[in-house]
Amino acid sequence: MLSTAWSRRTLKFYAGVSRRWLSNSPLGKVRRAPPDKILGLTEHFNRDTNPKKVNLTVGIYKDDHGHVTTFPSVAKAQRIVDSHEELNKNLSYLPINGNEVYSKRVLDFLYRESCPDNAELLDKDKISFVQTLSGTGAVAIASKFLSAFISKDVWLPNYSWANHQNIFSKNGFENIHLYSYYDLSSGQVMVEKWLQELEDAVGRTDNVKTPQAILLHACCHNPTGVDPTREEWHTIIDKIHELNMIPIIDMAYQGLESGNLIDDAYLLRMCLAKGGWSNGLYLCQSFAKDMGLYGEGVGSLSIVLPPAARVENKLALDSQLKPIIRSIYSSPPGYGCRVAKVVLSNEALKQQWFRDVQNMVQRLHGVRHKLYENLQWPDLVNFEKQHGMFYFTRFKPKQVNELKEKYSIYLTNDGRLSLSGVNSSNIDYLSTALGKVSEMK
Amino acid sequence: MSQVGIFNGVDTLPPDALFDIKKRYTQDTRAHKVDLGIGAYRDNNGQPWVLPSVRRAEEKVHADKGYNHEYLPITGLPALTGGAARVIFGPEYAEDRTVSVQSISGTGALHIAAKFLAKFLPERTIYVSDPTWANHKAIFQLQGLNVASYPYWDAASKSLLLDGFLDSIDLAEEGSVFLLHACAHNPTGLDPTPEQWDAVLERLAARNHLALFDSAYQGFATGDLDRDALAVRRGVRRMASVSPVIVCQSFAKNVGMYGERVGCFHIVLPDQSSEVNSRVHGAVSSQLAKLIRSEVSNPPAYGAKIVGAILADKSLTAAWHADMVTMSSRIHAMRAALREKLVALGTPGTWDHIVEQCGMFSFTGLSPEMVRRLETQHAVYLVSSGRASIAGLNEGNVDHVARAIDEVVRHFYESKL
Repeated sequence: MLSTAWSRRTLKFYAGVSRRWLSNSPLGKVRRAPPDKILGLTEHFNRDTNPKKVNLTVGIYKDDHGHVTTFPSVAKAQRIVDSHEELNKNLSYLPINGNEVYSKRVLDFLYRESCPDNAELLDKDKISFVQTLSGTGAVAIASKFLSAFISKDVWLPNYSWANHQNIFSKNGFENIHLYSYYDLSSGQVMVEKWLQELEDAVGRTDNVKTPQAILLHACCHNPTGVDPTREEWHTIIDKIHELNMIPIIDMAYQGLESGNLIDDAYLLRMCLAKGGWSNGLYLCQSFAKDMGLYGEGVGSLSIVLPPAARVENKLALDSQLKPIIRSIYSSPPGYGCRVAKVVLSNEALKQQWFRDVQNMVQRLHGVRHKLYENLQWPDLVNFEKQHGMFYFTRFKPKQVNELKEKYSIYLTNDGRLSLSGVNSSNIDYLSTALGKVSEMK
Repeated sequence: MSQVGIFNGVDTLPPDALFDIKKRYTQDTRAHKVDLGIGAYRDNNGQPWVLPSVRRAEEKVHADKGYNHEYLPITGLPALTGGAARVIFGPEYAEDRTVSVQSISGTGALHIAAKFLAKFLPERTIYVSDPTWANHKAIFQLQGLNVASYPYWDAASKSLLLDGFLDSIDLAEEGSVFLLHACAHNPTGLDPTPEQWDAVLERLAARNHLALFDSAYQGFATGDLDRDALAVRRGVRRMASVSPVIVCQSFAKNVGMYGERVGCFHIVLPDQSSEVNSRVHGAVSSQLAKLIRSEVSNPPAYGAKIVGAILADKSLTAAWHADMVTMSSRIHAMRAALREKLVALGTPGTWDHIVEQCGMFSFTGLSPEMVRRLETQHAVYLVSSGRASIAGLNEGNVDHVARAIDEVVRHFYESKL
């Protein structure tokens, strides 16, 4: 770049000042950022004219007709919100940290119903909570908070959701480490290797001055769909605890593993049972998938304080989260949280919601079974380890490309296949294509 | 090393002034309490008002067979971003060199501006008016940008310090960023005249500065969207040969959907060859997408669909314009009523500025002690700077507010003697 003094003097000679900003401003030299890996593919898909095209990229649930539908429980809640004078007459700002009733209901759902053994955390006021813009917003705020006060080092699984790295690096984290998670050749989680890496890097305390954060997928690991078993989690949690790491639990798919929302909070339950996370435990939770409120941006961040923390500590945390939010977007959006609040507040609707999640998971399991019938790939139906909306094909980029170019079947570039896009009318076409492409060398 | 006390060093920050007023007001049990704090419109019964045009748009959106909660594109709903650009730029809209993305209302747009400037122009100083909206400085400072202020308001004469304003434009390092309130200046309610805007823009252009407009109240100054976009449109025209113009646009107030967080961030690139325009347009838009993806993935859908529907449908747009006239004329009437009552009470001081100011606020000139006494003695809540949200006044409470102001002014006036 030209020095300011030089460029200023020189540019005075130009009569055609209209191009001036381009030559002295870095704005004119902004390079094109690569398109988002997942959402960019949807744009490509939309332009594809093949009538048989199948979009298996984005993690949005679709029914057997390929439609994005609203859960019956959510649709009822919407009607209540729309017709209810009290709920719908006020479109004022929400508080910075979110709607109070929403917060109370979500806290109860997460820490009383999902983790009954540790409900006293709520009674003793050990949880700092804010409503967030879905899971991304929760991770972003956790990232800003942690990097400002506690740690600029985070460990992410390899693989992980494509956006995780972007979120942490854009929100204050300086060092992003990857831990081995998924073995591409065996399709298994490499727990031993993972923990050994942590031990080697973090366990040698002489070179680690500050505690380091570690991101854990609560269930239905994205993109691989493969989670550690419960026994493996015990070992993992013990090691992380021993290394004084800071757990950040990303719970985007609660309910999509077993069909039971409560059961699927097992990682949170296990971590709370372990207890004593001296730098806090961070839960980033979203209703995008399990309530189908994707675009409405409904989620939460909670920070569970260690037992030794006092009320003042909790209030200090609350007060620090607010200016972070105030400077990004002031206050969260209202509509989606009103709907979620109604679902969580009304016992009948809540039961309906539990059934809705169960139905969704049943259909996804059915898709796995049917694909297994057609393809005989055993890990499709290994329900002990394979969970959620995604199936990781382990296809190489050229195979993914072949699917796209030859069959107009779209997976993400890492070979992740979203089962929700599979339905009765495309499953045979899809199975044939997958079978053919899997034989490619 | 024991980590037991690791959070003990975290300081408790003072609560956000505006949201804290709201909290104290809510807890106040006095029946005659009046909230003149946060800038949100209230009807003549002191109730939040959902615009009839919004109700119609909601019905339309819900009745749509394709209505669902699927993610919006990262850069937002095209019906919103395109419609919003046409509303703010009007005949000056140059689509080929305008990048528009959806933002989480005005704050979200300013935050995008801050992140974008911090990444590509980190050395530039951002100049904000003195005084300005309480959150402006924090938004830019938290991204590591240097923030300075330019003179704007003369408290003694309650008028614009145009000379000081222009001088600081001249003195600022070439290529600085000037944050300008597009209309209905917050908190003073005092805008430059069209001639004064021309003078400001002329100086900005002469110094190759960047103009960053914060448009949070379009329609609230005069009731007319076009008239309230005058500064932005003249700015875009004047700067087309000089530098990019950034516009942060909020629909919180003028559509009355405060909590739905609907807004847009626009960059109007300077007028160059179409080849350069198209390259920079694509590059800037890709960078913005990456930035949005790192914080919210994609913007909230519901409010965007409602505002998008209003902007896309002529009859809804017309209904919306009528709603805005309803709001701005009620506020106008309340300004007149308050001033008239203060004059009738013989309250010490002059009160003409209340009717001369525009938008939702009046910068009353009341001191922090007076504001405190208004709250403790009279249950009238406003910001300690003396900014009163006129939208909180109505026929049922304006008498009480006038008498309360009269009492506190006399209290301090007399105690000084």
